[in-house]
Amino acid sequence: MPKITIDEQEIEFAAGIPVLQAALDAGLDIPHYCYHPGLTVVASCRLCLMEMKMPHPKSGELGWAPKLFPSCQTPARDGMVVRFNSETVVTGRERCMEYFLLNHPLDCPVCDQAGECSLQDYSYKFGKPESRMVDPKLVMPKKDIGPQTLLYSDRCVMCTRCVRFTKEVSGTSELCITNRGTNSEIDVFPGKPLDNPIQGNVVDLCPVGALLDKDFLFKQRVWFLQSAPSICPGCSAGCAIRVDANDDIVYRLKPRFNPGVNDWWMCDEGRFGWKYALSDERITTPRLRRGSSTKTPKWEDVSEILQYRFSQHVDEHGSGGMVVVLSPMMSCEEAWLLLSFMLKVGPNVTAVIGPILSVGEDQAFPAGSTGDETKFIIRSEKAPNRRGLEMIIDQAGCETLSFDEFVESVGDGEVSAAWIVGGYPEKTWVPKALEKAVGKLELLVAQDLFETKLTAAAAVTLPACAFTERAGCFVNHAGLIQPFESAVAPPNGCHRDGQYLYELAGYQGLYTPDRVRELMAATMSQFADVREAAPAPVHLH
Amino acid sequence: MADYEPVLLKNISLEGSTDLKVYESAGGYAAARKALKMTPDEVTEIVKEANLRGRGGAGFPAGVKWGFLPKDREVTYLCVNADESEPPTFSNRVLMEKDPHQLIEGTIIAAFATQAQKAFIYMRVEFHEPFHVMQNAIDQAYAAGYLGKNIFGSGFELDVFIHRGAGAYVCGEETGLIESLEGKRGCPRIKPPFPAVEGLFHKPTVVNNVETLCNVPHIIERGAAWFKSIGAEGSEGPKLFCASGPVNRPGCFEGPMTITCRELIEGDGYGRGMRSGKEVKAVLPGGISMGVLTADELNMVMDFDDPRNFGLLGLGTAAAVIIDQQQDIRKVLANITRFYSHESCGQCTQCREGTSWMDKIATRIADGVGRTEDLDLIVDVTKNMGMMPGLSICGLSDGAAFPIRTIVQKFRGEFEAYIAEQPPTSTLRVLSTFN
Repeated sequence: MPKITIDEQEIEFAAGIPVLQAALDAGLDIPHYCYHPGLTVVASCRLCLMEMKMPHPKSGELGWAPKLFPSCQTPARDGMVVRFNSETVVTGRERCMEYFLLNHPLDCPVCDQAGECSLQDYSYKFGKPESRMVDPKLVMPKKDIGPQTLLYSDRCVMCTRCVRFTKEVSGTSELCITNRGTNSEIDVFPGKPLDNPIQGNVVDLCPVGALLDKDFLFKQRVWFLQSAPSICPGCSAGCAIRVDANDDIVYRLKPRFNPGVNDWWMCDEGRFGWKYALSDERITTPRLRRGSSTKTPKWEDVSEILQYRFSQHVDEHGSGGMVVVLSPMMSCEEAWLLLSFMLKVGPNVTAVIGPILSVGEDQAFPAGSTGDETKFIIRSEKAPNRRGLEMIIDQAGCETLSFDEFVESVGDGEVSAAWIVGGYPEKTWVPKALEKAVGKLELLVAQDLFETKLTAAAAVTLPACAFTERAGCFVNHAGLIQPFESAVAPPNGCHRDGQYLYELAGYQGLYTPDRVRELMAATMSQFADVREAAPAPVHLH
Repeated sequence: MADYEPVLLKNISLEGSTDLKVYESAGGYAAARKALKMTPDEVTEIVKEANLRGRGGAGFPAGVKWGFLPKDREVTYLCVNADESEPPTFSNRVLMEKDPHQLIEGTIIAAFATQAQKAFIYMRVEFHEPFHVMQNAIDQAYAAGYLGKNIFGSGFELDVFIHRGAGAYVCGEETGLIESLEGKRGCPRIKPPFPAVEGLFHKPTVVNNVETLCNVPHIIERGAAWFKSIGAEGSEGPKLFCASGPVNRPGCFEGPMTITCRELIEGDGYGRGMRSGKEVKAVLPGGISMGVLTADELNMVMDFDDPRNFGLLGLGTAAAVIIDQQQDIRKVLANITRFYSHESCGQCTQCREGTSWMDKIATRIADGVGRTEDLDLIVDVTKNMGMMPGLSICGLSDGAAFPIRTIVQKFRGEFEAYIAEQPPTSTLRVLSTFN
C-alpha cells in the first residue's frame, strides 16, 4: 500500500484518494466543510489547507513549498510529505474559523444542530474564543425552502454541499447560490421548492444548523439522543440507518455510511415513514378469544397456550392443513424461530411469504442514470426481508405457496390452521378475500402491529413490534445480510416478537440475535458471521 | 519620451481607423498572411522568443502559455479576455474602439498558433461602443474572407464570437471567464486542471488579454529582435499605460516599460503634470489591485519587476490613479474595500468574509468611528488573504489585500491623525450601538 507522511506520521492509504481523505481515514481530525466524499470537490472553504514538501525549482532539494494546498483537492501520492501542524497552517485555520463566525448569529441555544455542529466543534478545537469584529453583523433571512426543510441562511457557511447534492445526486437541482460575495445565499428558484424523494439528505450534509428538518425542528436536543444502528425496512434496498431516540421515544432516523448500498444517503420515505411505530392504536398485549369472549393471558403463559392449541389442532386435524405466513417485515431470526416452532408441532406445515407491496419501478438518482452514474436507488419492493425468508424456507425444505394461492386455499377451506404475521405499516394490508374467508379457519394466530379483521377473528392475537424495537437481520435485494439493533423498548406491556418466539421455539433466557444466528448457522453458514458495514471515519462529517 | 514611435496606438488617430480598408492601407493583415504561411509551432516560437508577457496583469509569457497545450488535442478554444474590469483601466477599450482589426489580426495569428478554430471575445457588458465596433469589424473580416473558412487560402478556419459578460469583476480571471462563458456563475475554478489542459467546455483553452494579442501581429511582422529592443530585459515590447485623476491630460498612452511612475504623471507624452498646482499624495500605479505608492516613491519603474521593490504585487494593468493632497485617504480606502467586498465571488471563505469585514472597518473609519487598533486589525485581515499563495482559489483576495495593506501601512500617520481628532466618547457610543 502507498504511504504518505502527515504531521511526521507515516500513514498507509488507498490509492486514488485526496490527502484529506487519507488523513481522515487514519483518524486525524482535519477540519473541513465543503469536502464530502460523495460529492465533487470544490475546495472553497479553505479550511483543510496544508503545507507540502516539494522539490525546489532550482536546486531540486526537497523542502516545504511556500504555498498552501487544499488537502481535499490534492491527490495523495506515495512518499508525499505534508503537514497540518505548522504555525502557518494553524494560524490560517484559526483565522478562517473567525471568518465563519463573523456574521453567524451564535444562536446555539435555539439551534437544532447544537451538539452535533462542526462549526461548534471546530471553533472549540481550532478557533479562538472571541471575535475581533466590532461592526454590525450581516443579517441573512430564514427561508422555507420546501415541504420538509427550512433554511436559516444566517447560519450558513456556504460550503455548497446541499447545492452539489441536488445537482449531482438527486439530479433535481432545486438549490442554487444567489447573490455574490458575503451576500451569497443558498436559495431555491421561485416556485420550485426543494421537493424530491431524497431531499432530506441535504439536512444531514449541512455541517451547521442552516438546513433544518421541519419534522425534527425543536423536538429534542441532540445530546439527549442515543443512537442505535439499524436497517431501514422501507424497501428492499437495506439502507444502513441510525435510529436516534431518547427515553424510549424515537425522534429521527439518519443514514449511516454503507458503501455500495446507500453510501451516505437515505430516502425521505424511509426517513419519515416510521411514524406508525408511535401510534397509540398499536396492539400491546396478547389476547385469547373463545367465541365472543376475550381474555388477556399473562406473557409467561403465552408459550404454553400456543403449544397446547397447535398440538391439540394437530391431534384433531393433522398437520396437513397448517400454514405459517411469514411476513417480509420480520427479521431472519424471528422467521427462523417461528418456522422452527411450526415445524416442530406440525412437520407438514406449509410456509407462505406474506404480501409484498410493489410500487412502480426502482427509482434511480439522478433520474435516468445507469451503472456508475447512479448514486442512489429507491427499490420498488416495499419490504426489507423477502430474500431472508426465501433462504430460511428453502433451507427448511417445507411446502410453500404464494400468498395469493394461500388466500385461495383458505377460501376453498383447504387450510385448517394458520399463523399469520403482519407487521406492515399500513393496517390495510389484509386482502378482502382473506378477510371474508378467515372464518373458515379452525385455528388462527394473528401477529400484528394493528387491529385488522384477522386479529379480530384470531383465537390468539399477538402484538408485533416495530423495527425500531426489534433486533435481528434483514437480507436485502442483493442478498446482503445486515444486522440491526433495537433502539427503544416496545410499548408498555408488549414483549418483543423475538423474545416470545425464542421461548416458543423451546429456548430459554434472553433472545439475542447473535445467539439465534449461531443456531441458524448450523444449517445456514451465511448467518455465522453477520457484521455491520465498516463505519465512516470518525472525523468525517 | 518624444522619440517613442507608437506601435499599438499607431492607427487610432487615422480617419476611419475602425474600417478594414483603412487598417489594410496602414499595413494591416500583412502579419496574419505571413503567419499563416508558417507552421503553428514557428509562430509560437517567435512569440516565445519575443518574451511577450501577458498584459492582463499577471505577466505570464504568452508563448509559454500556448506551449502548455497538450500535443494530442483535438479541439482548442481561444478566449480573448476583453473583460477589462480593473477599476482605472481603459486601454483595451481604446484598442477595441479605435483599432478593432488589430485585435482580430492578433486573434487570427494566436488561433493559428494554438490551432483553435473558435475564438470567443469575452467582453464586459459595459463596453457598448467597443461591442458595436468590434462586431462591425468582425462582420467586415468575415465578408473579406479573413475569418471563416480557408483564411488567406491557407486552409485554416476560424470563427470569432463576442460574448458579453454580465458585470462581474471576477470574470476577468481566466477560469472565472471560462465558467461565465459556459453560462454559469462567474466563479473561478480550482486548478489543476489548468485551462490549457481542460478549459472551456472541458477542452484545452488559451485565454489571452486584448493588449497581449494586439502585440502579436507586430511581433510577427517585425520580428522578436525588434520587439525585444523596446523596453528593458524582462519587460520587453510596447505597453499601454493609463493615467486618471487630477492630471492635465488623463488618458491612455503608449510607451516602453522603462518609464517611471513620475514620467507617467508628468511626462510630455503622458499625463503632463498635475492640474492647477495640485500635489500628488498617492498613486495606485497598476490598477487598484497592486497597491499604493506614496509621493516619495514615484521613481518606481513601470515594468514587471520593479513594483515588488515598493511592496506592490506587480505591474498589474499599468493604469495609474493619481490621488492629490486634498483627498481624504480614509475615503480612498473605503472606496477600495467597497469594491472588493462587492466583487468577491463568495466561494472562498477568506475572500468572502475578509473583503466584507475590511469594508466594514474601512467604512467605519471613513465615517469617523475608527479606532487605532482597527489599523492593525485590517492589516492582520489582509495577511490571511494575500500573504501566502494558496489561501484562495483565485487571485482576487491577493488583489484586495495588497492595496488595502499598503494604504494602511504607508499612510498610517494620516489615519492616526484622523482618529486622534475624533471625540473618543462618540466613537464608543457609536460602537456600543452595533451589537
